[in-house]
Amino acid sequence: MTSILKKPSVLPGFGLTLGFTLSYLSIIVLLPLGALIAKAGSLGWFGFWDAVLTPRVLAAFQVSFGLSLVAAAINAVFGFIVAWVLVRYQFPGKRLVDALVDLPFALPTAVAGIALSALYAPNGWIGKPLNELFGLKVAFTPIGIAIALTFIGLPFVVRTVQPILQELPPEEEEAAVSLGATRGQTFWRVVFPAVLPALVTGFALSFARGVGEYGSVIFIAGNMPGLTEILPLLIVIKLEQFDYAGAAAVGTSMLLVSFVMLLILNILQHWMRSRHAR
Amino acid sequence: MAIQVQGITKQFGTYRALDSVDLEVRSGELLALLGPSGSGKTTLLRIMAGLESPDAGSLQLNGEEALGLKPRDRQVGFVFQHYALFRHMTVFDNVAFGLKVRPRDQRLPAAEIKRRVMELLELVQLGHFAERYPAQLSGGQRQRVALARALAIEPKVLLLDEPFGALDAKVRKELRRWLRKLHDEIHITSVFVTHDQEEALELADRVVVMSQGRIEQIGTPADVYDHPSSAFVYEFLGQVNRFDCTVEGGVARIGNGALSIATDETVRGSGVAYVRPHDLGVAPAVGGPGRVSGVHVVGPDARVEIELDGLNLEAEMDRERFTSLGMVVGDRCTVQIDRARVFAR
Repeated sequence: MTSILKKPSVLPGFGLTLGFTLSYLSIIVLLPLGALIAKAGSLGWFGFWDAVLTPRVLAAFQVSFGLSLVAAAINAVFGFIVAWVLVRYQFPGKRLVDALVDLPFALPTAVAGIALSALYAPNGWIGKPLNELFGLKVAFTPIGIAIALTFIGLPFVVRTVQPILQELPPEEEEAAVSLGATRGQTFWRVVFPAVLPALVTGFALSFARGVGEYGSVIFIAGNMPGLTEILPLLIVIKLEQFDYAGAAAVGTSMLLVSFVMLLILNILQHWMRSRHAR
Repeated sequence: MAIQVQGITKQFGTYRALDSVDLEVRSGELLALLGPSGSGKTTLLRIMAGLESPDAGSLQLNGEEALGLKPRDRQVGFVFQHYALFRHMTVFDNVAFGLKVRPRDQRLPAAEIKRRVMELLELVQLGHFAERYPAQLSGGQRQRVALARALAIEPKVLLLDEPFGALDAKVRKELRRWLRKLHDEIHITSVFVTHDQEEALELADRVVVMSQGRIEQIGTPADVYDHPSSAFVYEFLGQVNRFDCTVEGGVARIGNGALSIATDETVRGSGVAYVRPHDLGVAPAVGGPGRVSGVHVVGPDARVEIELDGLNLEAEMDRERFTSLGMVVGDRCTVQIDRARVFAR
């Protein structure tokens, strides 16, 4: 056991930094999560499932996780294209576009939510023509939620894919071309697989952000129970009704599902990386 | 397949990488493009492969104009200095890549691709490594995979850009002998770029010496070493002593006349004389004009530094001869030039 923990190293302070890391993580992450689970535990095994397995909670699960996946998928595609353009081409205003990508990080999410719902509302700049021309309602429907989640998740994909694309040696593409590959083959067989692990990371981050998002969604969602009600909102509603244990139960179940999904993505990523790790 | 290069010019911004270069690569030969960095050799190679396009000039592959052809239509195998293997593919998939990306109607059946790839991996002595990833191989092995990958498409021409540049000295030497042997077996027209004169002289059938975007000399290794056509080639190929001299009546006088040598060059007046270290004869002599100022014995060779009349000379001889002369630092000696080349200033 000691041999695993204590390999000789020229870097000092292993014990100190490990101790610090563990205590820090315990205070910042484990303690609150532990408290959450303990609170949910006060319901007892059956009480817990009774609180979680209601139609309203299950519908909210579907909305939160389903739409987060949709948004993360959209971000994976378009975030990749944005990163590609930012890395591969020179154009006037490139720095501005680059800075623009980070805005969803910085903007208060409530502001984003209000702006989006104003735009996509049936009388908004985009919502109105969409409604009149296609009969498409965006605000106060699941589509609106997906748009809000896409907005806040975009930087995660761009910022994880960008450095990997940047470091991709041009020689690999040149080699592919000289071996007879078309542009399409070069992209799909050489560039894309090299970037895929980073893309999965970006997808996972965007997804996780979407599941936890509250501020921007509640303004555009309409918050109809069973239809456009997200889990975080449901938790807030339960809190307002002083159902603390029920809120904790929903939170705990969210935690479980998120953990499992992120774990799967991590395993997938580890498998991809291990194949060409140095 | 022969390659004809005519008047190829390439400009990067204000920097002229290639200045109207003419070159013929003969079918089946192994040709070295040799020059210091910035001489344009890699640019020329990349233009042949279609990875770069020239501003002017023409390029013919086997008599056919090739500048309009895309890289993938040129049937050229390219090997990169840093291997450029596909990191996420196994060695097998790397080598098979060129065969798998062919249009469906030209693609070989999977079994045939497998057979060809394994054959190539045997050729580069990596048959057991088919399922490895590039990251699990040494530098020399990676470069052999890169070579097999380039050969898989049965190219008419093999182009190698500093193929041994990233390898350590011992592996470099082994791989270069091996490449020469391979070339003797398959006789594919090959052009390789190097800045290492020893590599070029040892490996190539003919050497093209380049400098500042121009070709200085083309010839066999013996040709360019023994009969350099310009001062640049003399200085670039091997060690050399360089002296200012004045030429009068067929005799070049070096320094204040302490050394002189007959020359049949047409140079008159002031010139520059080049003398290889092994063309300097040194003999111990009490009260001689030279003084031994340094001795370096490296392996089988001995390098002797000599001060003579304000000049610093370097002579080279084999170790045995040096031992028999019995010279030590501080001894006086005579110096004689056996062979020199004089260029006008």
